[in-house]
Amino acid sequence: MIAVALDESADDVREFTEGITYPVLLDPEHLLSELYAISNVPTVVWIDEQDRIVRPNSVAFGTDMFKEFTGAEAGPHQDLIRAWVRDGIEPLSPDEARAAVDDLSDDEVRARLHFRIGAHLRRAGDDAAAKRHFDEAGRLAPMDFTIRRAALPLTGGDPFGQDFFGMYEEYQAAGSPFHGLPPTT
Amino acid sequence: MVQVTVIDEAPRVVDGAVVDGRIVVTPTALPQALGWELKPEGICRDDVCVPVRDRDALFAGDGLDLAAVAGALGRAVEVDADAAVFAVALPAEARRQALDALTAPPFTLADLDGVPHELAEWRGRKRLLVAFASW
Repeated sequence: MIAVALDESADDVREFTEGITYPVLLDPEHLLSELYAISNVPTVVWIDEQDRIVRPNSVAFGTDMFKEFTGAEAGPHQDLIRAWVRDGIEPLSPDEARAAVDDLSDDEVRARLHFRIGAHLRRAGDDAAAKRHFDEAGRLAPMDFTIRRAALPLTGGDPFGQDFFGMYEEYQAAGSPFHGLPPTT
Repeated sequence: MVQVTVIDEAPRVVDGAVVDGRIVVTPTALPQALGWELKPEGICRDDVCVPVRDRDALFAGDGLDLAAVAGALGRAVEVDADAAVFAVALPAEARRQALDALTAPPFTLADLDGVPHELAEWRGRKRLLVAFASW
């Protein structure tokens, strides 16, 4: 396992990683959201010994903590992982893998750029300018939680409160779009 | 001359100027700004040169317009002229590598103690790359 936190600082992440022995990396610029077309977390990508992507972006959890909220259980994904690691079973073909992840649109790429500018300006102490960029990023990629939800704690909002609930309703109403495989059942 | 912040994989500062809302650098500062160099053959990096049809269009006065250079490289750009900040997209080829070639694009990120790690560090092993967040 290599865990990558799409977070601004190590302090934001440390409480979640106590006792973890596998690598935990910090990605404040959200490079992975661009390189791998990741639009929400948690997203899991299976990579083999030769850097092949065997199973692309999927929403997958380690525990059933969020099952009621998302409909995703941890068990089925863990079964697939075991079959891969023990028996080399790849759960989908390369064609299926390619079809699973839509590319980022131009607006989704630009949203990432605005997010980075916003994050930088916030670090520089210009919250007003930062918010303008976070808002523009959210306008360009309204269904992307690595943009809209990630910006909440950076603009004084609560990613687990009312600010998020409205966003989540919008997301569901749009059919819960995600760049990748739906939760494993 | 002002301090211009260029953000690709991370923010960094270069000397430049803001001319008519455009962020410019001297040609000699282009490698530091974008990692590419302007040569007679075009915009070059290592052995690769991207030919430029309209060289004049790359300039704003005597300075290179970073947005124009990035555009010539096919890279999306967003600018905050007031703050002198320029953000340029990662090469789309890297993302194509993931989505079309199903090959994990490389990256270097620091761990929680600030020590950088490359994805290649774990080549030769099966890996689950898990993107998560505190939000």
